[in-house]
Amino acid sequence: MPPVLRGENVKRKEKITTFVFILPWLVSFCIFVLYPIVFSICVSMTDYSGLTWDMRFVGFSNYARAFKDRVFLKALSNTLLFVLITVPATTMISLLLAVLLTSGIKFKRLFQAGYFLPSVISMVVISMIWLYIYSATGPLNTLLRSLGFDVPARSWLASERTALGSIMVMDVWSAVGYYTVLFVAGLQSLPLQLYEAAKIDGATKWQIFKRITLPLLKPTILFVVSINSIRSFQIFTEIFTLTGGGPANSTQTIVHYLYDVSFRKFEMGYGSAIAYVLFFIVLAITVIQRKILKGEQL
Amino acid sequence: MRVLIYALLIFFLVISLLPTFLMFSTAFVPEGDLFNRTIEKIMSDFEAPRTVLLMRVRPIGKTFELVKEDQNSFARLDSAKGVKGLAFSIGSSDINRLSHVVFKLRSSSTLRMVVSFKDIKENVERFAEIVIDPTPSWKTMRVDVEAKKMKLDVLHVSQLRMEIEGDGILDIDDVTLVNRYPTLYNFVKILREDYFGRYLLNSTIVSVCSVLGNLFFCSLVAYAFARKQFRMKELLFSLVLSTMMIPPQVTIIPTFILMRKLNLINTYWALILPNLVTPFGIFLMRQYFEQLPTELDQAARMDGAGDFRIFWNILLPLSKPALSVLGINTFVLTWNDVFYPLILTTSREMRTVQIGLALYQKLNVFTWPTLMAASTIAGLPIIIVFLIFEKRIISGILEGAIKS
Repeated sequence: MPPVLRGENVKRKEKITTFVFILPWLVSFCIFVLYPIVFSICVSMTDYSGLTWDMRFVGFSNYARAFKDRVFLKALSNTLLFVLITVPATTMISLLLAVLLTSGIKFKRLFQAGYFLPSVISMVVISMIWLYIYSATGPLNTLLRSLGFDVPARSWLASERTALGSIMVMDVWSAVGYYTVLFVAGLQSLPLQLYEAAKIDGATKWQIFKRITLPLLKPTILFVVSINSIRSFQIFTEIFTLTGGGPANSTQTIVHYLYDVSFRKFEMGYGSAIAYVLFFIVLAITVIQRKILKGEQL
Repeated sequence: MRVLIYALLIFFLVISLLPTFLMFSTAFVPEGDLFNRTIEKIMSDFEAPRTVLLMRVRPIGKTFELVKEDQNSFARLDSAKGVKGLAFSIGSSDINRLSHVVFKLRSSSTLRMVVSFKDIKENVERFAEIVIDPTPSWKTMRVDVEAKKMKLDVLHVSQLRMEIEGDGILDIDDVTLVNRYPTLYNFVKILREDYFGRYLLNSTIVSVCSVLGNLFFCSLVAYAFARKQFRMKELLFSLVLSTMMIPPQVTIIPTFILMRKLNLINTYWALILPNLVTPFGIFLMRQYFEQLPTELDQAARMDGAGDFRIFWNILLPLSKPALSVLGINTFVLTWNDVFYPLILTTSREMRTVQIGLALYQKLNVFTWPTLMAASTIAGLPIIIVFLIFEKRIISGILEGAIKS
């Protein structure tokens, strides 16, 4: 048998083995990523209900409808507000904690684990705890009353004015630990020589932080801000469990509205269009983050 | 400065742990909430006007006498006047939480007292008989309640009855029901009344299967990306990474339609299949495999081992650290997942514990202690996993973050 042929055989066998090894991902990718993405974009241009197979091509009118739909616009503005407030708050608090944790204190790991605990607890459980904390006779009102404040006897989540803010506070509380861990890792990877040099030059701690730490930490900050924004744009569980979007849509968010439209009102065509709007927002954040990072490195 | 840093750190630690602590401690409260615990329930202190009293306290036999003495009112049961006892109505109460009944009494002669409960179906069961010696001054009595041993409908008890046997005058005051505190009964109630046991089982099955699937399939795929050469490898790998960015909401509608077409809604398959191979797992395992020396596989290949043998017998045993990071992180993510299980299951029997908890709160009339007990059931497994594997979970997060 000529050796070339044998080589071909081996090559073919190699190819088949590789294929078999990749197969699980390929199958899962095609069924749970590729097909949904393509199917979604098609469905988003129909009036598909999800209950029957009847569908009519409607072009981009679902997208146009979204931007005329007052509830969707409310959901969009609520989500934007949510992102614009919680992301900076979470970033600042977790950066502060990370700086404190890396300042050479004792029991660092213990503190870090304590801050991190809320981020492993599921959002449903966290929502239940805060439902209790915010309730009319709950711990928060008990505390405020004992401090002499005159608080109305109703849940913080039941009023249009306080509901979204209360959920934001809860979200910041639950997310801070996760980003603290990322910042601690980022801070620990910074080069020590620069700090030594700055100390010799007589720089104050604040100067060191502003001139050295912050610029060097920029990639980490950018990363934290972008993944936190992406996560916050997808906020759903806390809304679903705590308020169901109410009162009067004051806590309606994009994903909760998507759920309402697709799985309660069964307008899956419209729901898919909303999903795509969300997808483009997330994509935009990713692209912007990449652009900024590349600009930094050049 | 040092002191200030520690003060800040401890302040944030307290804020970060307090809500979880509130959940735990409220779960053991019998009724009310942590700040408004109802441990004692006064059945009657006989201070109210007679007409009001009679709504809650019924005489057994002829009517009792209300005596006022030194600004203190109490009930006088005189057997000569045909009074046999008192019945306190307690609506339709669950007496499992009860620890004991307390009351004050004094009597003129030796009497026997029978204490019993009556349920809404009018069954009466006596749970204590006490002999009362004559006492000129007030004496506090305590009668223990063991609901577990009782045969009547302990979930719906309508009356507490105290009957006297023998002749004489008996004065009774301050009849109080005392709950067990702390109590485990909230957990028993949740597990019995809702399907929380079943939810826990579902969550465990789904999480364990997803973990095993991820461990095996992700490393299988990662092996190809780390050790094999093939066309479009880098392109495919960047495709793997970019799927991490896709919000799950974009794929849920088609996935739901597909699962319904395949009749998989309300099955474990619907909950497990989409999670079986995750891009994070592939990424993590590839990173790890790539830093293992290739000499090992070459030596094995010399001995005639095929790719699968090398993968299974050489690389996998060496990758235990990465595998445990992947396993634990997958477990936490699947256990806590809400969006997919919410949409892919509709029947009560197939809910995972997170969905069960969310819907328990939405669909039932609950009390804070029972809701907190349910939350503890849903949250505690992850908290325990975290306390044991804190290091692995955090390193998994850092691995995931480095990809950027």
